[in-house]
Amino acid sequence: MSLDQADPAALPATGPAPRKVGRRGGGAADRRVRGRRGGRWWTPWLFLAPALILSLYFKFIPMVNAVTMSFQEVQPYLGNRWVGTDNYSTVLQSHGFREAVWHTIVLAVGQTFGAMALGFALALLMEGQSRRLGFVRSAAFLPVVVPMAVVAELWRIMYHPTGDGMLNSILALAGMGPSGFINDPDTSMASIMVTGIWRGAPYDMMIFLAGLTSVDRGLYEAARVDGASRWQRVRHVTVPGLRSVFSILFILAAIRGLRVFTEVFLLTNGGPNGSTEVVMTLIYKLGLEQNRLGVGAAGAVLLFAATLILTIIVQLLRRRESK
Amino acid sequence: MQRSRWIGAGALASALILTSCTSGPAGVDAKQNSKAPLELWTRTTPGGPGEKGAQELAAAFEKATGFKVEVTAIFDDFETKLQQRAAQKKLPDIVMNDATQIGTMHSQGLLREIDMGKIKDSAQIIGQGLQSGKSLDGKQYGLPISAQASALLIRKDWREKLKLEPPRTWDEFAAMAAAFTTQDPDGDGKNNTAGLAAPLSTKRGYASWYFSNFLWAAGGDFITETGKGKYKPAMTTPASVQAMQWFRDLGCKTKAIQPGAVTMDTPPTNETFEAGKAGMYVVGPYLLPRFDKSLGADKYEVVPMPKGPKDATVLAEGSSVYLMAGSDNRAGQDAFASFAVSVEGQKKGMEGTTGYTVQIPVNTNVDIAQIRTDPRWKTYAQVYQDSGRYAPSIPNWTPVRQVTADAVNALMADCGLDINAKLRELDKQLADILKEQGIAAS
Repeated sequence: MSLDQADPAALPATGPAPRKVGRRGGGAADRRVRGRRGGRWWTPWLFLAPALILSLYFKFIPMVNAVTMSFQEVQPYLGNRWVGTDNYSTVLQSHGFREAVWHTIVLAVGQTFGAMALGFALALLMEGQSRRLGFVRSAAFLPVVVPMAVVAELWRIMYHPTGDGMLNSILALAGMGPSGFINDPDTSMASIMVTGIWRGAPYDMMIFLAGLTSVDRGLYEAARVDGASRWQRVRHVTVPGLRSVFSILFILAAIRGLRVFTEVFLLTNGGPNGSTEVVMTLIYKLGLEQNRLGVGAAGAVLLFAATLILTIIVQLLRRRESK
Repeated sequence: MQRSRWIGAGALASALILTSCTSGPAGVDAKQNSKAPLELWTRTTPGGPGEKGAQELAAAFEKATGFKVEVTAIFDDFETKLQQRAAQKKLPDIVMNDATQIGTMHSQGLLREIDMGKIKDSAQIIGQGLQSGKSLDGKQYGLPISAQASALLIRKDWREKLKLEPPRTWDEFAAMAAAFTTQDPDGDGKNNTAGLAAPLSTKRGYASWYFSNFLWAAGGDFITETGKGKYKPAMTTPASVQAMQWFRDLGCKTKAIQPGAVTMDTPPTNETFEAGKAGMYVVGPYLLPRFDKSLGADKYEVVPMPKGPKDATVLAEGSSVYLMAGSDNRAGQDAFASFAVSVEGQKKGMEGTTGYTVQIPVNTNVDIAQIRTDPRWKTYAQVYQDSGRYAPSIPNWTPVRQVTADAVNALMADCGLDINAKLRELDKQLADILKEQGIAAS
């Protein structure tokens, strides 16, 4: 609250606000009334300014720069050279680009639905007020707060491809394996997907838990009275009640899935035999490892466009659904 | 203030910020000041012994010449950070980095040509080291200060237990790798050892890096010079195919390469060797201090790589001093380069027991055996001299390394892949890269 607002003299007058009569004569008076009612119009902008300036400097200007760079051969010291759409051609024609797009989609879909399904199941199991549940929830949330580099190293150890590897020991108990996991082109994608689901599910779980509190308890009681089974209650009461949570999580998880990089980079770097190459690792190789920043920027712009289109489609679908 | 004024002020501020982002090439023709401190970037772990070694070299230089030097150690994303400084038009004065980076930095205009007339001991620099600092047009843009080459590390206790001799041919090498894999050399009763540790991930092109030791010994090549600075792909020549097939058989048939090699970069591969999971490792001398500490110097030995179908050529590398463009103290730059390759500078860079700035000296008047009494260093120096080979100085070696690493990784990961088809595909990619860099033979 500003000092003006704290001053009793500046408090708005009681009763209905004077009606705006005409545009010409009422403008100044209207501003005064607005000023008295809500403080100066720029007060909220002042509070937002630090974040906006930081965003401008560290997000929006680099984004504009990236779009410009995507049409240039980037030579920071000699000066950039305009090359038109050559960088886009290089990315689109680069070896394995189509495969990388396909891998990204597969990974994004698998991780999104896997993490949502597991997160939902965990949320149903851990819903409630008990103190012990709070502890269990915190423990289940741990994968989210552990740095990705640590997660990747842990899973690398667990995925050790010989019979004495941790997961292979478990498979052996079931008479299966040993599997190569991330070292076998046939299983590497699924292995990375499992790591992503393991890490993403607790995050989804927390969002679901928050959403579950808004589901009307009375509906459960009514459904039980009507003879609905536990599964039917989940299907017909819980899931519809969490519709908005599902759509928000879907957007967040899908964007996260499309931008997948760290776990792939740390676990396989796109290998073996390109079986886990995703768009981001390809962009990284083209742009940063080979020092072709313009090409990297073109790839980043393409990925941004794909993410934007996906978000718009989901928003349109939501809007149509809500109508 | 009216809303429109705020919008105007915001637009002005944005314009100012944008203008500051696209400022002109300040510092390209900087006014000279021989008193200005030299900013030196070295690619080593900050706070580690490598940084300390560089600081000691800088201190000796300051004492000898009076120029001031500020050392900055950067390891992760060194090249990216250099690009950021290039964008600011304020490069460090001196960079100590891999010899293979010359093409990238030169093509981006980051380097100043070295005037060899100002390098006092230039005649004493090892020829192939000097060659590694030349750009495609034959001009000197990098000055080698440290050299290294690959040699073979063998678990001595395993070898002696299995009563084997150090391998001198590829057949003996393969036999030892197989024996280490199948004959339980560590005696724990489990089948948990491998013959060879190899980082075959595509990260930084490691698979290509490692394989070059075998490719060149077979007489193969990634790309071949056809004369006048032009190159053609060479991964489908009989020698290259033979090398690939032999190396692949080590992994696919003998199963003698450590499990998980295709997703391993150097840190986990180093651990594989020091944890007693693999009995041989082809690597440079920089890991000796680490393995002496973790494994014990008595547990392993260093021998030259066995002779391949052609010879025993191995990958030679090293660090170079690069004099960066736009410096306001070119006299200081020249003096540092001159000092770094001098007998005094080389000896200083070799001091200590861990963080050497100089691995193998590049000055022919410096005898490594006199400074490091450990005979393993002499072995490395001999290998470098007799069999070391640098990657060629093309405009940008990194894409070549990356695509060859992808292909080697693919062939090692998928044993069912058609080797000839994959190498033909690789040659096509290499041809595109050479064409893009303007060095393709017609």
